[in-house]
Amino acid sequence: MTEALVKVAFAIGGLMTAAAYLVLLERRMAAWFQDRIGPNRVGIPLTRIRLWGLGQPLADGGKFILKEEYTPAHVDRTMYVLAPISILTAALAVFAVIPFGGALPSLDVGGLGWEHPVPLVVAPGADIGLVYVFALNSIAVYGVILGGWASNNKYSLLGGLRSSAQLIAYELPLGLAILGVVLASGSLNLDAIILSQASTGTWLAFSQPLGFVIFVVAAFAEAARLPFDLPECEQELIGGYHTEYSGIKLLLFLVAEFLHMITAAFLIVILFLGGWHLWGLTGATAETNWLTALLRTAVLLGKTLLVILFFMWVRWSWPRFRFDQLMAFAWKLLLPLGLAHFLVIAVLDQIRTYVLAPRLGETLSAWLLVIPGVGVCIAAWIVVGLTGPRDSTRPRRPGSAARGVSTA
Amino acid sequence: MSPILGPILLFALLAAALAVGMLAVGSLVGPRRNTPVKEMPYESGMDPVHDARRRFDVRFHLVAIAFLLFDVELVFLYPWAVSNKAVDGIGAAAPDLPFFPLIIFAELLVFVGMLGLGFVYAWRKGLFRWP
Repeated sequence: MTEALVKVAFAIGGLMTAAAYLVLLERRMAAWFQDRIGPNRVGIPLTRIRLWGLGQPLADGGKFILKEEYTPAHVDRTMYVLAPISILTAALAVFAVIPFGGALPSLDVGGLGWEHPVPLVVAPGADIGLVYVFALNSIAVYGVILGGWASNNKYSLLGGLRSSAQLIAYELPLGLAILGVVLASGSLNLDAIILSQASTGTWLAFSQPLGFVIFVVAAFAEAARLPFDLPECEQELIGGYHTEYSGIKLLLFLVAEFLHMITAAFLIVILFLGGWHLWGLTGATAETNWLTALLRTAVLLGKTLLVILFFMWVRWSWPRFRFDQLMAFAWKLLLPLGLAHFLVIAVLDQIRTYVLAPRLGETLSAWLLVIPGVGVCIAAWIVVGLTGPRDSTRPRRPGSAARGVSTA
Repeated sequence: MSPILGPILLFALLAAALAVGMLAVGSLVGPRRNTPVKEMPYESGMDPVHDARRRFDVRFHLVAIAFLLFDVELVFLYPWAVSNKAVDGIGAAAPDLPFFPLIIFAELLVFVGMLGLGFVYAWRKGLFRWP
């Protein structure tokens, strides 16, 4: 239990710090994209030392605490307070099964240390890790809808409703994309999924690129990041479900939102980008020594940071969807694509298990599956391009625009 | 208690304690200055016309029902996906059924086919149309 306590303390402390500093990173990235300077002033208080703005998150936290802790009279008090607590608790507790690297080998320094290798995950060997992650991710819907309902504000209610519809709609393509991963690795255990990718050296993003794309898009929507940030959309709903929240309760919502993004980044890396695996650097078996253990953690966290930077990059590159576009995108595009992709992967997996793997070995057959995987992705791209909605600002053929005018 | 459940419960408990603790610190440290205007719902400066909890579009309900259907069917696919590799062992245990894995796979195709039929039906009924 001591071991678990130490890990939990490290995880919560690290995650809260990471969320705080990612806010700073996001603001600096935003400034960079928009050709301005961004927060670079706050350093050590009462001195002129600026430290590139590294004091900003601490100052922000202090400000949030010192603001008035206010509960308006028109809200449902219990639900109103419960919403931020539940959303933050669920967002943090997801990380109980997410591995932060491989396992640390045993250590003995003058009687201190540990005898067995220590896996860098709070609850090692959780065989239903993936199901647990999605169960807790779904609880975010409760926080959002509770907050929207309890606020007794029309903006909040609309934001909460939209958000719940969005989160449940995008959970389906997310689950379908994950089915391909579960099929390929034969396990719901996140460690086992990484190991299965490391043992063949084929990251699942190569052999299932269509599933990867579907998962990334759905993960953006689940994390409610732009272009899918309809739950908030400042210009229309003044912040959506947290319009009526202020002070530390608002902080809990915002931190939970960043934690959702971190979770999504971790899942993208673990499920599709090989987790801690990097060819020729980290090894491919469960046994480690100190060097590979540290390398694995560095590789996993580095990949995750890159994915988070990608999230921030996308935020300033695409405009927000309209709500009907959002729903049509989930139900009419991602869901059928996900179903078709799952069927193709299922057939390919049968072929690999019963035809290719016994003859060619695991590694070669895994690499061979990259070819049909990429083919399916390109085919899906062409089909979507041919059947999807057209750019209404551009006439299809010369003359068709004129016909449109005459019938109107 | 199982070796997995303990750490997970500990994690959830500490996370909840952190959230409650932050709220408590906030309410202890922050100032309290109440005014009648602050008590009103914020609606961009307009006086709110009526209670916010009114009827809303029935489509949200339809989407929720569609989600329940598809999500539950999706959950049924997970055990198959995990045990798919173990089907080989079951096939070896039943030597009079040489095509056992193929039969299992055909059953999956039937299941997904019905799921697809339901999806097409919902689409034709206009469930996903959002004006």
